Amino acid sequence: MENRFGVKDLFYFAALLVVLTVLLTTMYMIDRQWNKLSEMERALSEQSGDIRHLRHSYSQLEKRIAEGTVISGGRSADNREEVQASAFDRSLTVTRRSDYAEGDWRVLAFGNSIKTITPLVSTDVYASQVQAYVLESLLTRNPESLEWEGVLASDWSVSGDGQRFVFNLRPEATFSDGQPVTAADVVFSYDFIMDERIKAPRERAYYEKIASVEALGPHQVAFQFKEPYYNSLALAGGMMILAQHFYAPYLEEPERFNQSKGLLFGSGAYRLADPKSWSPDKGLIELERNPRYWGPVQPSFDRLVWKVIENETARLTSYRNGEIDVYSAQPREYKKNLLNDQQLMARSLNHEYLAPTAGYRYIGWNESRKGEPTRFADRNIRQAMTYLIDKQRIVDEIMLGYGQPAVGPFNPQSKQHAQDLKPRGFDLEKARTLLKAAGYADKNGDGILEDSGGDVFSFELVYPQASEQYTAIVLFLKDAFAKAGIQIVPKPTEWSVMLDLLDKKDFDAIMLGWSSSLESDLYQVFHSDQRKNNGDNFIGYSNPELDKLIEKARSTVDETTRMPLWQAAERIIYEDQPYTFLTRGNSLVLIDRRMHNVEVYPTGLNIDETPVGWYVPADLQKYR
Amino acid sequence: MLNYIVRRLLLMIPTLLGITLVVFVTMALSPGGITAQSLVDGFGMNPQEKAALQAYFNRRYGLDQPAPVQYLRWLNNVSPIGFEMREDGQLAGFSFAKGSDLGESFRYGRPVSEILAERVPITLLLNVLTIPVIYLISIMIGVRAARDRGGRFDVSSSMVMLALWSVPTMLTGVLLIGFFASDQYWHWFPTSGLSSRVAQDMPFMPHWSNLSDVLILFSAMLAGLFAALLLAGWDRPRLRAMLAGAGGAGLGVWMMHTLPGDASPVPTVILAALLGSGCYGLALTDYKVLRLGAFGFAGLCLGGILGALLSQGEFVRGFLLDRLWHLVLPIVCLAYGSFAFLARLTRSAVLENLQADYARTARAKGVPENRILWSHVFRNSLLPLITVFASLLPGLLAGSVIVESIFSIEGMGKLAVEAVKGRDRELVLSITLISGILTLLGYLLADLLYAMADPRVSYE
Repeated sequence: MENRFGVKDLFYFAALLVVLTVLLTTMYMIDRQWNKLSEMERALSEQSGDIRHLRHSYSQLEKRIAEGTVISGGRSADNREEVQASAFDRSLTVTRRSDYAEGDWRVLAFGNSIKTITPLVSTDVYASQVQAYVLESLLTRNPESLEWEGVLASDWSVSGDGQRFVFNLRPEATFSDGQPVTAADVVFSYDFIMDERIKAPRERAYYEKIASVEALGPHQVAFQFKEPYYNSLALAGGMMILAQHFYAPYLEEPERFNQSKGLLFGSGAYRLADPKSWSPDKGLIELERNPRYWGPVQPSFDRLVWKVIENETARLTSYRNGEIDVYSAQPREYKKNLLNDQQLMARSLNHEYLAPTAGYRYIGWNESRKGEPTRFADRNIRQAMTYLIDKQRIVDEIMLGYGQPAVGPFNPQSKQHAQDLKPRGFDLEKARTLLKAAGYADKNGDGILEDSGGDVFSFELVYPQASEQYTAIVLFLKDAFAKAGIQIVPKPTEWSVMLDLLDKKDFDAIMLGWSSSLESDLYQVFHSDQRKNNGDNFIGYSNPELDKLIEKARSTVDETTRMPLWQAAERIIYEDQPYTFLTRGNSLVLIDRRMHNVEVYPTGLNIDETPVGWYVPADLQKYR
Repeated sequence: MLNYIVRRLLLMIPTLLGITLVVFVTMALSPGGITAQSLVDGFGMNPQEKAALQAYFNRRYGLDQPAPVQYLRWLNNVSPIGFEMREDGQLAGFSFAKGSDLGESFRYGRPVSEILAERVPITLLLNVLTIPVIYLISIMIGVRAARDRGGRFDVSSSMVMLALWSVPTMLTGVLLIGFFASDQYWHWFPTSGLSSRVAQDMPFMPHWSNLSDVLILFSAMLAGLFAALLLAGWDRPRLRAMLAGAGGAGLGVWMMHTLPGDASPVPTVILAALLGSGCYGLALTDYKVLRLGAFGFAGLCLGGILGALLSQGEFVRGFLLDRLWHLVLPIVCLAYGSFAFLARLTRSAVLENLQADYARTARAKGVPENRILWSHVFRNSLLPLITVFASLLPGLLAGSVIVESIFSIEGMGKLAVEAVKGRDRELVLSITLISGILTLLGYLLADLLYAMADPRVSYE
């Protein structure tokens, strides 16, 4: 008789299972303790380093006193004045408020999982948000006046031709392990990016206009540009400074850097607790206060936490529960649900604003397909198309009023924008006259226009699929165009297929959006050079007059002469209508009420301001 | 037997080749294809940046070569024996020990094996906890339903199972979060993730500040358990059911009472009626094991809650409890839909065998019914369950996209879908290769288990 599996065996198996589970959890437990221990060990060794450093400077001071050096009080006060210059002024005024307090955490949510937060290797905007707290650049823009102010640099000078910039670094600046920031680090940052083995092709192309970066002294560095470029100060001053002693070893084994998940270390107000060990499976990113921050103002929060919450319902619920501090809403849910929710509104500050980086939606009219000009090559037709679109209704009915009609490629608050240009409104009659002039008429009485050759006026409109707002706009346009006798064939398209279409320039018209920056460059999208090599002028638009203006503006360093050039360029685009500019959308943000000093500046919400932007008064603090 | 296993293992190779070839061809033929352009979603980048990035991808992953060359290159990298590749992409000598390399993900820029090593434990944890729950409950219910064919238990259980089966997971997930993880209703569970931030600074095991609290908690739990078992074991069904129903209704009223704001009467009545009738029905069933199990579990939970309310000192839940607490809602979501299928399968298999001649013979010679069921009939009904078991092995690693994205869990399901959406060819190929291997191994294992469960099957 064979051995049968009995009830007794079941108990044996269960016991074995229990033993295995206990073993596994114990292993995991010990592993956790080990990590905690090494964390403490690191903190201790950092502190003993600090003490050593202090003792050293103290003994030097003693020696100098013993030698009889007189330390003048006046001079040190002078130094103090200099240190408090520029970029930290705003933070200092905030810290002088009566209810200001350090402490508490700020918890935000990301809607996508993060792949890596290593600088240069990371490509998404989430990672760069995190990096901005850890890495510092030489200069930063004042969010109110938009002037450049020194962060790591105390002052800087420009040569007469605008091609050479010399920066003086602040001598007291240190990285988060106490090592000083020197000119060598700045030079290293540039060389590191330019090293072919490092996976930063994008940044390499971005900094291509820089001819060289050289250290003139321990705290002085010079950037030499190849040609005059309007954005050169932003290029040089905005470069994130990497620590040579931390990143240089990776030049030996670049693959380890390229494949890394979280090598993030810098001189900023916050730091990763362990600059080498972050990994995406934790589901959150956590920065802690940099205990050795060199700046005259210490950061306000103890920790900054970003949770990854992909599901929208879960994100809203988390905000409701107070687990995250900021929630960005869509117009429909904002107006219909959130604004009516007493409980939610009681704990939220809500902000509706047009961010300068909020781009515009547009319809691009393809002017040449397979080497032949299309009907949209005619400027009158493009203008007629624009007159047929009621932008105000799109804003009112689809975006529920949270937006505005777009005039051109520049943000209406920007100095680049010519203030007298107004959005072209809806005008059916004007459109009809323009179309008639171009030879379009309904010849066979079926309600659809035909051109002089007898072909019906019908075109495909490509737009990204799975976007609710785009779909709504397309349906609205289809109706509006049908009234004028023009047929739109909607063509929702997957992203990678759309990129393929753009590269082959194989479409009639396309609806998309561009993001903006504080000073937008028209070269990339509207210059005729960009028709070649899969550039972003995929609609095949060309206007020699505009080309000249763009080139001139780009090589003008002086702002007062540059802005009129941009404005002139905008006028040409307004006349030509290569795109029909549709709308700009507002950001709708709910913020926890315990956050103070929440402001909307010309650069947008001051969420990213360092070292001190938002803060929580002591009696409202939630986390210890 | 050994001969058979070796033959089956060798047969796996052409099947796997076929699978990878089909996946590769599908991805290559998809609109847009796998090219450097599709990897660079090149908006807002100036053309030099874009061209530089494309050239970089081409150089790094050989995307500018013809598709068959790319496939052979991938195959060579993956197979443990093959040609060695030099730095410049040229072939060196043939090697039997070069090791297999799953390649590097396009999107992550990291080795695929490293990404998988990060994701697999998470999915494994979820599935190792979920699958036994599914099997235990559905076998219990299926066997009982077969014995009670056409009876009250059979009809009501299959109704409930079918109802559960037809509710889509995404709806359940969102509803569970909305009701049981939100401040608006009952904030009993966390909204997302696998552990909370504070738990990272906690010790591993739960801690109490004084010993009396531990005693209180355990005695409360024991008391709850015993009370519930006593109630469930009471042999006066009507009274038992009334008592349980009243308890359920009381629970419903209390739940509405804890809501923020005033409890409105209509939902209170509805919830109380729902919970009350649920408990009533459960207490009325004459299936003792189910009754004892369900009541015991409920009693344990209630006792635990009571104990927690009674305890005075500070309580730190610890990393382990925090993790388990986070796992409750995802596991509920993963499990409930699978009951119906397995329970129906068990039911039909057991039913067929219960009517077989050997069962009648056993009954005729006076073998007790329970013994007939478990040692004769159940054993013979295992075959269809083993067939399902074959899909368990790949299922352990598969993960669920929906549950993972609702609860923000970084598991394999999400990884696979992201990889397909992002045209991350190396990752997609590796995942299909691994799940292909596991599926085939599962089939092999199932075939071997047949031989163990049924002496008539032999591979000699």
